Amino acid sequence: MKQLKPIMALAISLFMLAPCSLLASSHREAPITALDRSADVTDWYAFVSYDKPNYVTMILNVDPLLEPANGPNYFPFDPSVLYEMHVDNNQDGLDDITFQFRFNTTIRDPRLFTGFVGGIAGIPPITALSGTGSEGLSLIQNYTLTMIKNGKTTVLNGGQTLYAVPSNVGPRTMPNYQALFNQGIYNLGNGVSVWAGTADDPFFIDLGAFFDSVNFRNGVGPVLSPAIDADNTHNYAPDAVGGYNVNSIVLEVPVTMLTVDGKVHPAGDKQAVIGTYGSTARHQMTVRRSPNPAHSSGPFQQVNREGNSLINEAIIGTGFKDRFSMDYPINDAQFASFVLEPVAAGVLSTLGVPVPPNPRTDLLLLVQYEAPICPGCGPNDAGPVADLLRLNTGIPATPVANQKRLGFIAGDVAGYPNGRRPVDDVFDISLRAIEGILVDSTKYGLALGDGVNTKTEGFNNSFPYVLPANSGRNSAHTGPGQAGCTGQPGGICPVQ
Amino acid sequence: MKRMISALSVILTIATFAAAQTKDGAATMEPSPAQQRIAAARHAITEKPKEYNGYNLLAAALISRAQETSDATFYLQAEDAVKKSLALAPRNFETEKIETSILLGQHDYPAALHSAVALNKRVPDDVTVYGLLTDANVELGNYKDAEDSAQWMLNLRPGNLPALIHAAHLRDLFGDTEGAYELLDLAYQSTPPTETGERADILTRLGHLRLASGNLEAAEKLFQQALTNFSGYPMALEDLAQVREMQKRYSEAVVLLQQRCQNPHPAGTLYALAEALQLAGRDREAARVFADFETQALAETATRNNSNRELVFYYADHAHQPALALKIAKLEYAWRHDIYTLDAYAWALHANGQDAEARKQIEIALAVGIRDAGIFTHAAGIALKLGDHAAAQSYLKEAASLQATESHHLPGGADSVSERQFSGRP
Repeated sequence: MKQLKPIMALAISLFMLAPCSLLASSHREAPITALDRSADVTDWYAFVSYDKPNYVTMILNVDPLLEPANGPNYFPFDPSVLYEMHVDNNQDGLDDITFQFRFNTTIRDPRLFTGFVGGIAGIPPITALSGTGSEGLSLIQNYTLTMIKNGKTTVLNGGQTLYAVPSNVGPRTMPNYQALFNQGIYNLGNGVSVWAGTADDPFFIDLGAFFDSVNFRNGVGPVLSPAIDADNTHNYAPDAVGGYNVNSIVLEVPVTMLTVDGKVHPAGDKQAVIGTYGSTARHQMTVRRSPNPAHSSGPFQQVNREGNSLINEAIIGTGFKDRFSMDYPINDAQFASFVLEPVAAGVLSTLGVPVPPNPRTDLLLLVQYEAPICPGCGPNDAGPVADLLRLNTGIPATPVANQKRLGFIAGDVAGYPNGRRPVDDVFDISLRAIEGILVDSTKYGLALGDGVNTKTEGFNNSFPYVLPANSGRNSAHTGPGQAGCTGQPGGICPVQ
Repeated sequence: MKRMISALSVILTIATFAAAQTKDGAATMEPSPAQQRIAAARHAITEKPKEYNGYNLLAAALISRAQETSDATFYLQAEDAVKKSLALAPRNFETEKIETSILLGQHDYPAALHSAVALNKRVPDDVTVYGLLTDANVELGNYKDAEDSAQWMLNLRPGNLPALIHAAHLRDLFGDTEGAYELLDLAYQSTPPTETGERADILTRLGHLRLASGNLEAAEKLFQQALTNFSGYPMALEDLAQVREMQKRYSEAVVLLQQRCQNPHPAGTLYALAEALQLAGRDREAARVFADFETQALAETATRNNSNRELVFYYADHAHQPALALKIAKLEYAWRHDIYTLDAYAWALHANGQDAEARKQIEIALAVGIRDAGIFTHAAGIALKLGDHAAAQSYLKEAASLQATESHHLPGGADSVSERQFSGRP
């Protein structure tokens, strides 16, 4: 057989893919996830549980900016996506424990025009996730939770069917949504608790101002006044994520399930520190088909991940974001130059903000095991450059009343970047880290921020640490010129 | 999948019938999509001569035209456009991608690989660059790297058209003909009807896969359809000629190849024509074309864009100059180790009595997974020469299973295998 002429579709290579629009933020931060929203990891949280000192809670949020009224199908998890939480417990940047979540969707009444209905046409209001009271849940999702540890896979469902909590359609359909929300909390035994469903998105940021080429509101950013900077409970600019929902998976496990030796360690032990990230994956179409039977789908291929918030958004170059999203933390050395020579620092510099010279080895704290998050780590324990959210499980949670939005850099050592809690203002913290506060808090200590200091809807301070989803019928978003900025006169958010 | 294929066949059959008035490559002479793009790009340059993008559009269109016609002079024109573009916008990423494509078109695979690696480091998210990497690595025989690049194409933009085509090519090389067909079928469905050149290319590739597995009827329909989509499409003409040879319709094969040779063509096409003439019993004409082929091929032996592999088979099987065959094969082997170069090299070694080394080389080629009747036939010849009759028979069975119209069974056992079966052509 004569060889087909060698050059493969040169012309096709050229006319093929038009550049995708590049959207950035942890919500839709990479081109590939802008096209695949159900696999888009919006935020990743890991922290010592507020009320249980020897427990860790991890939250994987996916599918950004869900408009609560957006029926009829609302926002089911994607059954073809594998949702994962990863833990490294020996400083090598590789998974030691992986928690996997897989969802299954059932349409119980295909004749209905909407996924959820109740209090009408003889269908009772939805008051339960299963059984009596769930008749109006035409679209119903359950899920499984498995743990892979030391190569062994363990189903953690505890013999229960786990149901995902649907979005909050409105008061006629779901008259007691809080009760539905609570039904989604499952105690699986061995100290493991889990919740999954649509929730209020706990992230907060003035997205519009930042992405309008760092055009913050007058009198607010980018340098906050001392009064605004010290305020942990009010907003001075609109929270662009306010009123939107997100799909959340929340898992609480004992620290002993996560550490390398199954023990609880004091903060000074390196064994107390874990590295974590959340990810999504889809079956990949493979160059080679699997035999017996031949099929084109191969193993799961990671689509998106998040360890430290805003690394991909604010640090990684746009031409690298997809590769970053789809590669694994262990291979992050290829992106090290973005950390050591952050473009964002250059941008701050053009705004007149003093920044330290490159290379920015101070930022390696975010991608290696070092003090102060890991005071027990010596020079040989730093591990590879890997975007993992590091958490010292030996540092107890800060009581809610004492939590500070600026976390670790404000002396609240249980906050970001020692893990991440919903209350942590990661945008302001990251700005200041890029500014150089870790190098010299006096020289590079301008109080940078966007004026969004907290979540409009507040926080949930107990498991599952997310708030119930905003109502499709009765909720609204905050925005410029609208209510929602309690720190401003009349609570109205500034436009300019 | 079978349903998809059969649906495609129905469509193709109807389309072929509708186009019945256009016999093997007869033409409707509207400007091709590439020609239209060339005209539009030239207009854009006239309008805005200081903007680099017009030159990029022109270069890309010229590359398309080169592929449509196999006329390498379009690459030279594309090079000129790229130079002008880079003068206006030095180090422009898109321009350098086009520049790399030209290197591939000119078969300078080492330079193309070097360039593609650098581009990939600059922007690792760019899917097209992974395509360039795949192409260069395939041609150099770096199949693992090629597979990695193609897999990244599939990962980054699941289902994207170039990724499907690149992955299909690799599946074919890895011996998964049906899997390759599956992906190309998807690619065909994703290609707009207005892209007649691209559709002809994909149809030709589909036909090639059917031809490779011995399904002449399906192959013929696909090649005909390619020619209906794009009149005179060079690869379809050559492949349809091959079908005609396997159908023992040698005169028709000659006509098709002569038609092909009316337009710019590589020396290798003359070799195919000479063989067809020989099969048609027109030995005198065949000798003349072989001579033309030899002259043309020798002139480009030292260049990257050559017909060295055909020259190897010519010297080994027709001119009976094994030493020259080996000399040429070594030239090619010195810079690329792809399957087809290894096959030619092995055959040249065999022709020179170096069968142990020949076996080693052809086994390396076969280890990639390729299921090619020609290579199996060569492997059988080499094994037979080494006295390994069992292996020879096994290889011949493989070859026979891939060729519906040629029998490679061994009626009198392996000892009776004729030399004819081990000619340089499959």
